[in-house]
This record gives sequence, structure tokens and C-alpha cells, in this order.
Amino acid sequence: MQWACHNPSMVMFVAAMACAIALDAAPDVLVSRQLAARAHLTVGETVTLAADADGARARTFRVAGIYEPTPDPMRFTAQRIEGRMHLPDLIALTADPHDPASTESVNTINVALAPGIDARRFIADLASQAPGVAGAPTARSRGDDPFAVLDRFHLAISAVTVVGSTAFLLALMVIRAEERRDTIAILRMVGISRRSLLTSVAVEGLVIAIAGAIFGVALAFATEGLVNRIFQTRYDTALVFVRVTPALAWRAVAVAAPLGIAAGLAASWTLLRRNILSLFRR
Amino acid sequence: MTSLGLAWRTAWRYRARTLLAVAGVAIIGALLFDMLLLSRGLLASFADLLDSEGFDVRVIASEGLPAMRVPIPGSADLADRIRGMSSVRDLALIRMERARVRRGTDRPRVVTLVGRTQSDIGPWTVVKGTNLPVSARLKARAPSPDPSAERGASAEREASAERDRDCPVVIGRNLATAFALEPGSSLEITATPAGVASALPSVVCRVVGLVDFSFAGVDEYAVATTMDAFEAIAAEPNHGDADLILVTSRAESGGGAAAARAIAELRPDLRVYSNEDVVEQFNRNGFAYFRQISFVLSSLTMSFAFLLVATLLTVSINQRLGEIAALRALGLGRRRIAAMLLWESALLVGAGALLALPLGGVLALLLDHILRQMPGLPERLHFFVFEPRALVIHAVLFIITAAAAAAYPVWLTTRLPIAATLRREVVG
Repeated sequence: MQWACHNPSMVMFVAAMACAIALDAAPDVLVSRQLAARAHLTVGETVTLAADADGARARTFRVAGIYEPTPDPMRFTAQRIEGRMHLPDLIALTADPHDPASTESVNTINVALAPGIDARRFIADLASQAPGVAGAPTARSRGDDPFAVLDRFHLAISAVTVVGSTAFLLALMVIRAEERRDTIAILRMVGISRRSLLTSVAVEGLVIAIAGAIFGVALAFATEGLVNRIFQTRYDTALVFVRVTPALAWRAVAVAAPLGIAAGLAASWTLLRRNILSLFRR
Repeated sequence: MTSLGLAWRTAWRYRARTLLAVAGVAIIGALLFDMLLLSRGLLASFADLLDSEGFDVRVIASEGLPAMRVPIPGSADLADRIRGMSSVRDLALIRMERARVRRGTDRPRVVTLVGRTQSDIGPWTVVKGTNLPVSARLKARAPSPDPSAERGASAEREASAERDRDCPVVIGRNLATAFALEPGSSLEITATPAGVASALPSVVCRVVGLVDFSFAGVDEYAVATTMDAFEAIAAEPNHGDADLILVTSRAESGGGAAAARAIAELRPDLRVYSNEDVVEQFNRNGFAYFRQISFVLSSLTMSFAFLLVATLLTVSINQRLGEIAALRALGLGRRRIAAMLLWESALLVGAGALLALPLGGVLALLLDHILRQMPGLPERLHFFVFEPRALVIHAVLFIITAAAAAAYPVWLTTRLPIAATLRREVVG
């Protein structure tokens, strides 16, 4: 039948009419982009679906469209081989003929509450009126959200990286301060105060840190698309893995600036606290 | 003086920068070490958890979340056929149901109720009291050829069945804490099957032991009992089908993989997994995120350590060009100078890498504590697990880093024009 439907020029008028009637009668199904790619499906084709593994009680559907599944971070490694159809069609396909109740049963009911209604209160009311029905709010609390835990994990790793970077920056500033030992000695000799020198070092540290932070943010922004493309290709998903937001950029600069100033001051203080003669190695 | 001696003296002379460089490498190294522990930690911990149960094959009716398992049709007959296979040593039937536990006037708690046909090995460790008694139903499956022994066994089975009707339970430690329960305490259990309206009567059960459930979540309340007691709580007139069949294979008959294949041939409609299959599936799906983040962060930390040491060595060499030119003028060969720089790099990286190990251990505990707050995670599952291979990879990566970081400074000094450098230093 499918062969005939796809080769209308090869069949007689009567068969073509039968095909047209069959296609008109076939209910619609939407298939995910991944399923369409794997099964080489196009819009308008007819497909046969069955709930039983042996193909019993199969029904014919027409592919009405191909959709991109809503990205789900909880299932980003799962292959989204799926389709969507109208509920009566699904029930007709999956209902157990020996169980009359199966045509009146659904797995889940999604409820959108009116503004101002407390979800937990609603669930409690529902449980008292319909024993055996379990309700759950779709919004996760901070305590049962795995992404809140991952957020804390990333924050801890960031903190360790910042501490390591600070040691790196401090070592560089110490070398730089040593390089300018003679210059500092001369500046002190001509009467420039410790405070002025410290201020100049602090400003230098601030400029270096902010420049570094801006470079880091720019690098992250520039590579954001590449990282997303790699992971989206790897997992065949539209999920966005990395997003550099203005808040994140500001946070990076806000952390880097005081650290840069502190590193500059700490490195220079070892030279500035000495007397002028010792700076000249006398 | 050897190249190592020269390198040591240089490091000692510039103590502050050496200490800071070592500190930087140690912190970054600690992060690298932790990422190496994370790269296989969850997988190793999960495999260990599965193996600790003593079963190496799992039979379920369909794929999916444990909470959505469907009963295995004809599980009792299937269990008999599996038990008769030469590659199988032992098996247990498992059923799970949601239930409510009440004690006195305390607020009732929702628990996972587990019923099983066997108790000597299992997904729990007794920490106080005793284990569940051996199920009467299990004993009934082994008739004795001797009539007098069979009469004795029959009396024992009746006594055992009586004990089962008594509803012995083992409970997790968090439920024991919530209700202040001890072995010998009693509690009321009401089955609340999901998806159906039910008003089953409560059954009074006796706590025989406190246990650590291998797969129970940190905040999950779990109760296990014998299969007969489970059916009494669920008020089932007939034996119901099991949700899960756990099988212990015989190693001499090919182990879990061979037993899984044989069981799958018996019932092609079921999903049969050996422990290796479960770990492989977990590796493909659930573990991918941590493997990726471990790879990305390991690469980043190595690049960072390389940049840190290479920059410090280069800047340090630029400061000491006159000194190096003088050493060359005194007759030290290029190779010796290069060896000195390599030793300097090795001292910085080596000291940092060694310090990174204890630091990484402490950091791993902290990060593991953070990640284990994920909801529904088994209490005994860990993300950071030490394996000797992590130590070997850590050492190899740092040796490569030390060599790569010293490459540019070595190239710089070996091409150094001695006379011109000395003149520039003196004039400067």
C-alpha cells in the first residue's frame, strides 16, 4: 500500500483514489528532527506505528511536520527518537482491548494554575479529593534541584582556579617589582613618597587585572559558539551549554580587579618598605 | 657544580617567586588531580556498588527509571527456570512499592518498601540487630529425599512462615533516627500503590535490624521485608510478579555475561543486564557530563600550569641573561645551561605536583561533598575515587609540562651571544 501511494503514476485510477482516501484518513503525527533523520522521513509521508514490539495493532499516520524537541538538560545525552500525536490517536494506538479503563486513562495531567494559587496547597487539596493521585509542582525548589548542586560545584572549581591564578599573578608581579628595583630606588631618592609609588602600583595592578579579565571575557564570548557547536553536534541537541551573560562578565571583572590591586601592592610592598640605601644594595 | 646544584641555588636565591610558583602549580595540580579522580570516579564507585550486592545479573521487564518498573510477567516460573540453569548459583526476587510508615503520634513518612525472597546477601549492610529471616517460600523450594528430614523441614517451614507473618523488617538509619527506632521496635506500614486509589489497612511490623541500603538516596526512607510479609502489607491474595530478579552467576560457567545471555534466550521479551552492561550503559548516558567536564578542566589546568611555569621561567631568564652569559664565558657548555633550566623547571613543577596530591585529596573531599547533595543519589556513591592510574597520568602530564615549559627558555639561552650580552649588561 505504501509503495503504491508513493508511485501514483504506476497505479490505476481506482488505486489512486484508495490511496487518497487512505492518506486523508490517516491521522497526523509530528516526528522529532532526530527521528526524521534516522528514519529518512519527510513531511507528507505515511508511517506505520504500533505500541507492541511484534507490530500488532499497527496504525498508519501521516507525517504532518518535523519538530525540534525542547532541549532538556536532564536528558541531554538521550537520543530524542520521539513523536507527537493527538491524545485520542495515542489512546486508540495503545489502549488494551481487554481493559475498558485504558481508553479513559492518562499518565499525567499538566495543570496551569491561576495566578496567586499556591501549588502545594492545590496538590494537598487534590490529594484529599482524589486519593491515589500524586501531584508534583513543576518548579523545583533549591533543595531538590540537581542544577543548583552543579552550580555550587562550578563555583567551587572557579574559586580554586582564582586562587591558583592569584598565585600566578603574584609571582609575576614579584618578578616585575624586582626588575624595577633600581627605578624605585631612584624615584624614592628624588623624593616621591611611598604612598604615591604604592598608588601607581595599585593602578598598574588594576589595569593589568581588568585588561586580563576583559581579554578572558572576550575569549569566552568568542569561543562560546564553538563550544556550543561541538557539544550540540556531539549530543545532537539544541541545548545551549555555554552562555556568557553580562552578569557573568561583570562578576569576572569584579573578582579580578581587587585581586590585581592586592597582588600588585603585596609584590611591591617588599621593596617599598626597605630603606633607600638597601634598594641600591648598599 | 652539577646542573641540579645550580638550579637549586637559583631557586633558593629567588625564594619568594619560587614559593609562589610552587603554590600556583600545586593549586592547579590539585585541580588536575581531582579531575583525573572525577574522570572515572563515579563509574568506579557505581561498579563497586553493583558488585558489593553479590549479584551480577539483573532481569527487568522494560527499560526505564526504577520507579517506573513494570512487573515481570510469570516471574515465579522464570525464577524456577533460572535457578535450574547450570551457570546460576543463586537468585532473589525483588518487589518494590510505595508505603507510608507511622509510629505513635509522629508524622507518617513516605517510604520505599522492598520485598525480597532472599536475605543472606543483598543491597544492604546490617549495622545493628539481625538480618531478615530466610523466607519460608524460599525454603519450600528445596525438598529433602529423606522423609524424616522432610517432616523436620516442614515444621521449620511452618515456623518460618509464622515468623514471616510476624512481618520482620530491616530499616535504613535515617528512618530509625526519624522515629527513634531500635531492633525490637514496632511500626505500622500501609502500602500506597502509585496510580490507584487504595485504602489498605496498616500492618504492624517488627524491626529486626538497622541497615545501610546500597542504593537508597541520602534523604530517602527505605524499609525491606520478606516477600511474604510484603504481600501481607500489600494485601495480595496471590503471589504477585516481581519487579526485578537478581542473579548470582557461577564464575566457572562464564560469569555474569554468559548467564545474562542464557537468561535472555529463555525470555527474549525481558531486559537482561550483566553488571558490566549496566556500567557500560551508565557510562554512555548518566556519566557523560562528568567525563566531559573532567576532560575540559584537565586540558585547561594543564595549559594553565604550562603557561605559569613557562612564563615564570622566561621572565626569570630574561632577568638573568647577563648571569647566564657570564657562566657561558667561564666555560659552562650549552648543554649544562640547558640542563640547569630543565632542572629549574623540574624543581618548580615537581614540588608543585607533589604538593598537589594531599591538596587534591582535601579538595576532592570538599567537591565530593558538594556533588553528593544531588537529590536521589545513593548514599554510598562517590564522584571522586582514587585509582593508581590517576597517579600515573598525573605524573606523566607534569613531566611533559615541565619539559615543555623549559623548551623556550632553553632555546633562548642556547642561542645567547655571549660577548654582546655581557657588553649590553655592563653598559646597561
